[in-house]
Amino acid sequence: MKKNKRFNRRDFIQSSIRASLVVSVGGIGGLALKNSTGRDWVWQIDPFECNQCGRCATECVRNPSAVKCVHAYDICGYCDLCGGYFIPGAVKLDTGAENQLCPTAALIRKFIEEPYFEYEIDEDLCIGCAKCVKGCTSFGNGSLHLQIRHDLCRNCNECSIARVCPSKAIKRVPSDTPYMIKGSFTKTTDT
Amino acid sequence: MFPKIPGKSIVVVVLIGVGLLVIFWWMGKNPADKLSESLPGTDNRVSRTDAVLEEVNIGEYFERFGDAPNTFLESWPRFRGTNFDNISKSPVKLIDGFNGQSPEILWSYELGEGHAGPAIYKGAVYLLDYDEEKRADMLRCFSLADGEERWRRWYGVNVKRNHGMSRTVPAVTEKYILTIGPRAHVMCVERESGDFIWGLDIEKEYMPEIPFWYTGQCPLIDKGKAILATGGKSMLIAVDCATGEILWEVPNEMDWKMSHSSIMPYTFAGQRMYVYSAVGGVMGVAADGPDEGTVLWSSAEWNHQVVAPSPVCLPDGKIFLTAGYGAGSMVLQLGVENSRFTAKILQEYKPKDGLACEQQTPLVFQDHLLAVLPKDAATLRNQLVCVHPDDCTNIIWSSGKTSRFGLGPYMMADGKIFLLSDDGTLTIIRPSTREYLQLDQVKIFDGHDAWAPLAIADGYMVLRDSKRMVCIQIKA
Repeated sequence: MKKNKRFNRRDFIQSSIRASLVVSVGGIGGLALKNSTGRDWVWQIDPFECNQCGRCATECVRNPSAVKCVHAYDICGYCDLCGGYFIPGAVKLDTGAENQLCPTAALIRKFIEEPYFEYEIDEDLCIGCAKCVKGCTSFGNGSLHLQIRHDLCRNCNECSIARVCPSKAIKRVPSDTPYMIKGSFTKTTDT
Repeated sequence: MFPKIPGKSIVVVVLIGVGLLVIFWWMGKNPADKLSESLPGTDNRVSRTDAVLEEVNIGEYFERFGDAPNTFLESWPRFRGTNFDNISKSPVKLIDGFNGQSPEILWSYELGEGHAGPAIYKGAVYLLDYDEEKRADMLRCFSLADGEERWRRWYGVNVKRNHGMSRTVPAVTEKYILTIGPRAHVMCVERESGDFIWGLDIEKEYMPEIPFWYTGQCPLIDKGKAILATGGKSMLIAVDCATGEILWEVPNEMDWKMSHSSIMPYTFAGQRMYVYSAVGGVMGVAADGPDEGTVLWSSAEWNHQVVAPSPVCLPDGKIFLTAGYGAGSMVLQLGVENSRFTAKILQEYKPKDGLACEQQTPLVFQDHLLAVLPKDAATLRNQLVCVHPDDCTNIIWSSGKTSRFGLGPYMMADGKIFLLSDDGTLTIIRPSTREYLQLDQVKIFDGHDAWAPLAIADGYMVLRDSKRMVCIQIKA
């Protein structure tokens, strides 16, 4: 007996659901592709231009600021006497608050092995004041640096930090390369 | 019947009640209850004294490669040269500029990572390298003419990479070569043959705290004696170069520590002395006479965690002290009262307020001090500046914001300053007490952390960055 190949209601509903799923997935993929390849602009700090003035902590419309310290571990010296962690002339090189530069204890110091210490940033505590960045840049390898976190940044058209940045370090960058992390991002000599 | 209470009174009572509740809540609330204390010891650091000392057989190995013919006569025999002033007295005329071309690199040599500088003695270049493959402090002797290695003497010692490993300049005399390794192992060898004479394990014998980033003190040979700052049980010691016998020791009653600074000989009021800027203070120790090896004067007012530049001792008794990491500088005035030496502070200031250095030691030119300021010197950061020692906060001239340098070395030769930047750029400057006069600038090599002191002899300059030593000819 020949099977009845006519489209019944059940088949129609199933096919419709499949088709709408394919369209939805394709649409989401397309939108994601568009977003990831689009040439929208976002704000970012050029760490080689930043002079650690401290205004990122106070001028951002977000409170605490959307600017956070990040750490390029590949260029860190892992020093015991870390210029980014300790105030100059610290009485002791220990984790007592009186010896730390960071006003919120956002920089966490851990002993690895003699003579190395690792420094990690607690972003929930970091207010972007750049005190550690100034110390690290002045006396160390400059591995601590500031970046605008795009999960926090409102991406204001008129960035309130960019308006007052004395070294003009806050720049518009393509949204597909939204960060300038030291180590992987290296300033070219012609800029 | 209850008396009738006016509605106004009820409102007042409620408001007072609410106010009292708010005050109780406010007084009972700890505004800092979400903050945690930052207490010492949360980094889990292990005490340095818990470390097990390694047995080091100083001078254990030797290898000879051959002797090269030698026609050179001049020397740059130690840190800061013959007269400890970083000024070459050679009559050889040197270039004023590069004519738009980088000078030819006559020879170059790959080294272990570090900042150890070369010494030159009659055509031989001596360098205490750290051989990363053999894990050894290695004293190497090269021919100045062609860079051929003549011999090497070494010993195994475990040194981890920590902003470089090697960082001292050997002291060389006609008879001896004296070296200090990163972990304060001292080795004395016969200069020409490289034969081992004696070794001293300061880390083991004196139990000092090795400075951050290893030993930077360059050794001193004075009248056949090795003069060394040990820290730990003693502060300064003198060792007979011929025998290795300890001749005298300055007890370390103050519990000062070894710094990166080097001991500077000085004569004031007819007294020869050794001036040492330790971590904890600065002192002068008699270099001869019946009081040899005793402390003539000291000051604990100069106390900083990291001291790398050496004291600059001026003829009128002023001593300029400087250090990095935000420390700044101090000027002392030595004097003699009731047959005793005194040290009074004339000036003390932060790096943003006057002449200061992080690694290098200032030059003295026509009674003025010249040096490159550190990164924390505010608007004058990394600029070469000139001051008079009467007021080191009065900057007479600076090189300007377009002529900034790094932590690299500078020295004077043939009436010119040769200044090497971190990246291997060499600048020639005409020294002046009135203005900055740059003669020329060229990149010698693609360098990184080129911080080791320069050496010049017979018109050749030997310089290095963290990984490579090169030789160029700068004869005019």
